[in-house]
Amino acid sequence: MKALLYKQIRLVAHPMTFVFAFFGVMFLIPGYFYSVIFFYSTLGLFFMFLNAREQRDNDFSSLLPIKKADIVSSGIVFCIIIELLTVLFSIPFALLSNMINKNGNVGGIDANLSIYGVAFILYGFFNLIFFTSYYKNGYKVGTAFLKANIPIFFIVALDFMLPTVLGVKWLDGEYNFYQLVLLTAGFVFFVFATFLSLIKSKKLFLRVDL
Amino acid sequence: MNILEIKGLCKNYNSFCLSNVSFSVPKGEITGFIGRNGAGKTTTLKAILGVIHNDGGTVLFNGADTKECETEFKENIGVVLGGIDFYRKKKLKTVAKVTSKFYSSWDNGKYKYYLDFFGLDENKRVDELSAGMRVKFMIALALSHNAKLLILDEPTSGLDPVSRDELTELFSAIVKDKERSILFSTHITSDLEKCARNIVFIKDGKILFDGTKEDFMNDFKDKGETLENIIVAVERRKIDESAII
Repeated sequence: MKALLYKQIRLVAHPMTFVFAFFGVMFLIPGYFYSVIFFYSTLGLFFMFLNAREQRDNDFSSLLPIKKADIVSSGIVFCIIIELLTVLFSIPFALLSNMINKNGNVGGIDANLSIYGVAFILYGFFNLIFFTSYYKNGYKVGTAFLKANIPIFFIVALDFMLPTVLGVKWLDGEYNFYQLVLLTAGFVFFVFATFLSLIKSKKLFLRVDL
Repeated sequence: MNILEIKGLCKNYNSFCLSNVSFSVPKGEITGFIGRNGAGKTTTLKAILGVIHNDGGTVLFNGADTKECETEFKENIGVVLGGIDFYRKKKLKTVAKVTSKFYSSWDNGKYKYYLDFFGLDENKRVDELSAGMRVKFMIALALSHNAKLLILDEPTSGLDPVSRDELTELFSAIVKDKERSILFSTHITSDLEKCARNIVFIKDGKILFDGTKEDFMNDFKDKGETLENIIVAVERRKIDESAII
C-alpha cells in the first residue's frame, strides 16, 4: 500500500488535487456556501482520475506485483487522505471566519460543526457513487463524476436553503447539541458509505477487462 | 523444463473467443507467438497476466498456479507492451524510482548499467523517446528487477529494420544464460527467424501449433519455406471483388 500511495503522488496525482485540498481558505469569504469548499476537493480528485486514465495508470498498475484489488484500495485510500486533509486544513480558517464575521454567514450554514457534518455527508455520497461508477469499467471518469454530483448539487442547495429560506436556526450560530448530532451522523455516514464503496468497487473492478 | 504452461485458457467476447488455448514456454529459450492481427495474441497474453477475466483454464509459472501466487508471478516477470506508453510526461528516473518500490529484488546497479547499455538518458521524459527507446526502457526496468520471464507483446511493431535487428540480437543475448526466458508475440515473423527457438501459432483464437521452429517448418513445409510465407498461406482469405463498391 505504501508503494502504491507513493506511485499515486509521484505519477498520478494532478497538481490541482492538492491545490483544491487547501481551499479551506474560502471560509474567509463572507456570505458564501461553505459546502462548495468540499465540492472543490472532489473536483481535484476528478482531475486525478482523469489524469490516471490518460497516463494508462490502471494498465501499468495491473502489471506490477500487486493484487488487482489493491489498485482500487490505493485509489480510494488516497482520496480519503485528500478529503480528510481538506477538512483538517480548513478548521483554522473556519475558526477565523467566526471571528471575522460576527453576524454569521448570510449565504448558507455558518462555519461551525454543522458545516462539517454536511461535508462528511457530501464526501460519503461522492465516495459511494463516484468509485462504484468508475471502477465498474475503469475509464468512464466523466460519467462517474456527473452521477456523484447529483446529490452534491442538492447538498449545496440545502446548505443555502435550510438556514436562510426554511429557517432551521440550530444549524447556524455557536455550538449546540443538534450540531454535534449532525457532525457525528455525517461522519458515521462517511465511514459507512466509503467502506461499502470500497467493497463494491473491488468486486466490480475484478470483473473489468483492462 | 517449462517456465510457463498455459492449459485450456478460454475467454469469450461477443464477436471473438479464445478456445482452449494451451501451450508452454521452455526455460532459457525464446518462444515466438505468431498470428495475424486479431488472431488473439494480445488477448492470450492479457489472460496470462490476469488483466482480463478468464472464463476458464489455468496458467502455471514454474509449476505453480498464477492465481494462487499472483504477486510472486508478477515479481518474476517483465512485461513490455509495444506501442503503449505509460506516464508520457514523466521523466524516466521518476517512473523507474516508483517502479523500484514494488520489487524486492530491484538492483539499482543493474538499472544504471542497462541505462548506459541502451544509451538512455533518465532525465528525458517518456514522450521524448523514440518507440524503440521506449521498448528498451521497459526492458531495462524488467532486467533491473531480475525478471525470469519477459513477456513482450509486439515490441518490434512500428520500429525501423535497424532497431528491430538490434532488439532481436538483444533478446538472444538475454536468454544466453539459460535462466531467463522470453515469450514474444509478433506478426513480423522475420524477427523470429533470427532469434526464436520455439513457435506458438494462433489462428482465430485457437492454437494451431506449439513446438520448435524446425518442427513448425517441417509441419507446414507444403505451405511455404519461410515463416511469413507459411502464415500468409494459412491465414490469407480471398477477397470477394464483387463486394467492393
